[in-house]
Amino acid sequence: MKILTASLFLLFGLYIHAQSTINGLVLDEKNRPVMGANIYLEGTYDGGSTAEDGTFSFSTLETGTKSLVVSFLSFETFTMAGDVTYMKDLTIKLKEDVNALDAVVLSAGTFSAGDNSKVNVLKPLDVVTTASALGDFVGALQTLPGTTTVAEDGRLFVRGGDAEETQIFIDGIRVFSPYTPTTNNIPSRGRYSPFLFDGITFSTGGYSAEYGQALSSVLLLNTIDEPDQEKTDIGIMSVGGTLGNTQKWEKSSVSVNASYINLAPYIALFPDRNDWIKPYEMASGETVFRKKTNSGLIKLYAAFDATNFELIQEDINFSEGLRYKLNNKNLYVNGSYSGVLNDTWSVFGGGSYTRASNKQGIMERNINSVDNAFHAKVKFKNRVSNRFKIYTGAEFFSTDFEESYGDETINNVNYGYKDNLAAAFAEADIFISKNLAFKLGLRGEYSTVFKDFTFAPRVSFAYKLSKASQLSMAYGNFYQNPSSNILKFTQDVKSQNTSHYILNYQYNADRKLFRAEAYYKKYNDLVKYSGYFPSFQSVFNNDGYGYAKGIDLFWRDNSSFKNFEYWLSYSFLDTERDYQNYPTAAQPNFVNTHNLSVVGKYWIDKWRSQVGFAYSWASGRTYTNPNKAGFLNETAKPFNSLSLNWAYLISPQKILYASVNNALGFKNVNGYQYSNTPDMNGDFNRRALRPAADQFFFIGFFWTISDDKKSNQLDNL
Amino acid sequence: MKHLIIIAAFLVSFISHSQTNYEKGMQKAFQLWGSNQSTEASNLFERIAGAEPDNWLPPYYAAQINITSSFGERDKEKLAQQLGKAQDLINDATALSKNNPEIMVLQALLHTAWVAYDGATYGATLSPKVAQLYAKASQIDPNNPRVVFCKAEWDMGSARYFGQDTSPFCKDIERAIELFANFKPETPFHPNWGAERAEQVLNTCKK
Repeated sequence: MKILTASLFLLFGLYIHAQSTINGLVLDEKNRPVMGANIYLEGTYDGGSTAEDGTFSFSTLETGTKSLVVSFLSFETFTMAGDVTYMKDLTIKLKEDVNALDAVVLSAGTFSAGDNSKVNVLKPLDVVTTASALGDFVGALQTLPGTTTVAEDGRLFVRGGDAEETQIFIDGIRVFSPYTPTTNNIPSRGRYSPFLFDGITFSTGGYSAEYGQALSSVLLLNTIDEPDQEKTDIGIMSVGGTLGNTQKWEKSSVSVNASYINLAPYIALFPDRNDWIKPYEMASGETVFRKKTNSGLIKLYAAFDATNFELIQEDINFSEGLRYKLNNKNLYVNGSYSGVLNDTWSVFGGGSYTRASNKQGIMERNINSVDNAFHAKVKFKNRVSNRFKIYTGAEFFSTDFEESYGDETINNVNYGYKDNLAAAFAEADIFISKNLAFKLGLRGEYSTVFKDFTFAPRVSFAYKLSKASQLSMAYGNFYQNPSSNILKFTQDVKSQNTSHYILNYQYNADRKLFRAEAYYKKYNDLVKYSGYFPSFQSVFNNDGYGYAKGIDLFWRDNSSFKNFEYWLSYSFLDTERDYQNYPTAAQPNFVNTHNLSVVGKYWIDKWRSQVGFAYSWASGRTYTNPNKAGFLNETAKPFNSLSLNWAYLISPQKILYASVNNALGFKNVNGYQYSNTPDMNGDFNRRALRPAADQFFFIGFFWTISDDKKSNQLDNL
Repeated sequence: MKHLIIIAAFLVSFISHSQTNYEKGMQKAFQLWGSNQSTEASNLFERIAGAEPDNWLPPYYAAQINITSSFGERDKEKLAQQLGKAQDLINDATALSKNNPEIMVLQALLHTAWVAYDGATYGATLSPKVAQLYAKASQIDPNNPRVVFCKAEWDMGSARYFGQDTSPFCKDIERAIELFANFKPETPFHPNWGAERAEQVLNTCKK
């Protein structure tokens, strides 16, 4: 019996000897134990988890050389190859994963919206539920700091820059005519419907070397990669109707969307200060096709719209008013491919074509223009490691602009210009640690019109101060060709230039976000011309200059109050420039020194309703009073507006939406127009430039038909 | 007596030796999970996934543990990490077994975890995705009890949100319970969860 037991123990003992034990300790970079890490021999069942003190121990029957793997959330996976018998009393240090959510973000100058970005200023739905925005993505961005309130224009004016200094990109490809056509004193809107996009990045300065031809700002819109489901959307609005349909297949999908807007019934009910001969009418269609390939994604986006209107506007120099007529057709096609080449390389390629035809009648003058523009771009990304990424690419812009002018005495004169611009860029993202990162970039451009090279370095840096706060800095040089308004008369000018210096502090915790940004911007080589408007008689030069400096503050709080979210933006802007026909450097008339926005949204569960408000206040803008000496010598009164909206979910698929802009009916004045000639007393008379209407009402009913009977157009509003 | 112990010990070791590593590993993982050691269980499922690269079940369960334990998590950072990991595991499982209604249910639950965390932010974008997943899963396997149950529970949630009658979905829950009773998993390790929770939800129906 004893022998039996002994031999059994012997056997057992032998068994033990064939096993080896692997043990050790797992620590983080600060030598703190890591608990719960998964540690194992690759491709085997043998492994364990680390205990509270970071220790682990497991036995294995494996022999010879094996890979030991240690993995844990928010750390880079550690791998070590060696003979299992030597894997004893190991001390393994895990490196923090710099792609983790709490890692430092290169964010100076940039606002992001969407699910994907690490720090969200706006949620995807905010674009459409902000009371003052009226479903326009540009309107929602105007509640962010760094923008100025130019209510009669509607476009984006960023940090002392005029509207042309901001460029808009869809899927990385330039949009040449992003705004709906309009005339004096009628704000324009973003041309493209917001529901096609699921990510928006708005940079108010210091942006990446990938983007150029923008002195102040870039706005990047990304279209949805894959729609959720097949559906039909119907919208009936006080100003028109929309109809959309999405079809999905295994690897591809198509969305089409058509809309028709006609302001005639609205203007009949609520006449405004304009005398409309043909109220604003716009028909548009958009389609997106997406196809997944084995290692990439193809997207095709096409949009066409036609707009016309005719009106007479009050004018101090024309007793019978100024007659203006517009007929605009715009085609935009954008195609892109993004794909993975291998483990480390990926590629993006795309192009866009725009054809914008504009027929304007101003009193007896006819101005017809056709703008053909083309953009192609290719970009490679090499992920050398988790901590070092390189981007490089090239792009090509081509513009062919033709215009003809005719009036009672001049019989159609034709003129225009062609410009080809080639650019190349390279950029590197370097993460020293989870707390410190750099972005270094360089962009070179060559323009065939000016036969001139420009080089623009870009640098940004971010350092994490604590778990919730970080400090960033950015510097960059930016070039932009003069606009078609100049180039159609002369090509004997050169590229305009700005330098940005940005310092940013950000605090982000518990669904609250605070950011403060200070900046300094210097303008050089701005185009100047003689005469009231640029013309063939004008003398052009690049002697213009200017500066802008200021502070932008932003606070968003989604957690302090139940069902209530709000944000506050304040911008202080100090800027002067001497450009265009300015006799001297002055604060331009599109600049407010102080800008304040407050936006709030409250969800009322019991009513299944979201109510929202947006209040904006902006200090008055400059204008020139010819009765006094000087240029841009007076300031108009401040701008005030409170907008309210209400979205009611009748049923999961039916929504009733109503909004009113300037609910309290503040009497805003955008500036003054002075007569060209003085009266008998030698005074120049003036007329206040009031908005066409003090208030705007909107009512819409939106109905979605889909198989699941649940989705709705809340994100279309 | 001693003999008996030795013989018993022998038998036990014999039986355990006749099991494959896979069965032992899976049993051990379920045991850890059952005793609330979910990190260890998830780690073990991941290890099995590495050793059995053609089997969708280990990544499926590792994903399920990460999703289940993320419900109730209020720290967005942790939630994003955990659900990001679960998404990777679901992607692995889907690559091994395409058009699998069980994995679709899990994917729907992952989206539901985001909606549960912050409905105002994620509801509008993820709800259609969840609905689409359940629609597709029930098209493929209309009598899978988990598909029927999870879909009904989700529908009840949205009906409650819109103040609509939830009783039609109670019938679906009853049907799911019947299906649970007759459900035979392909192997002992194939998904077979949900019956208990369905009973609980049915109880709220009766109130």
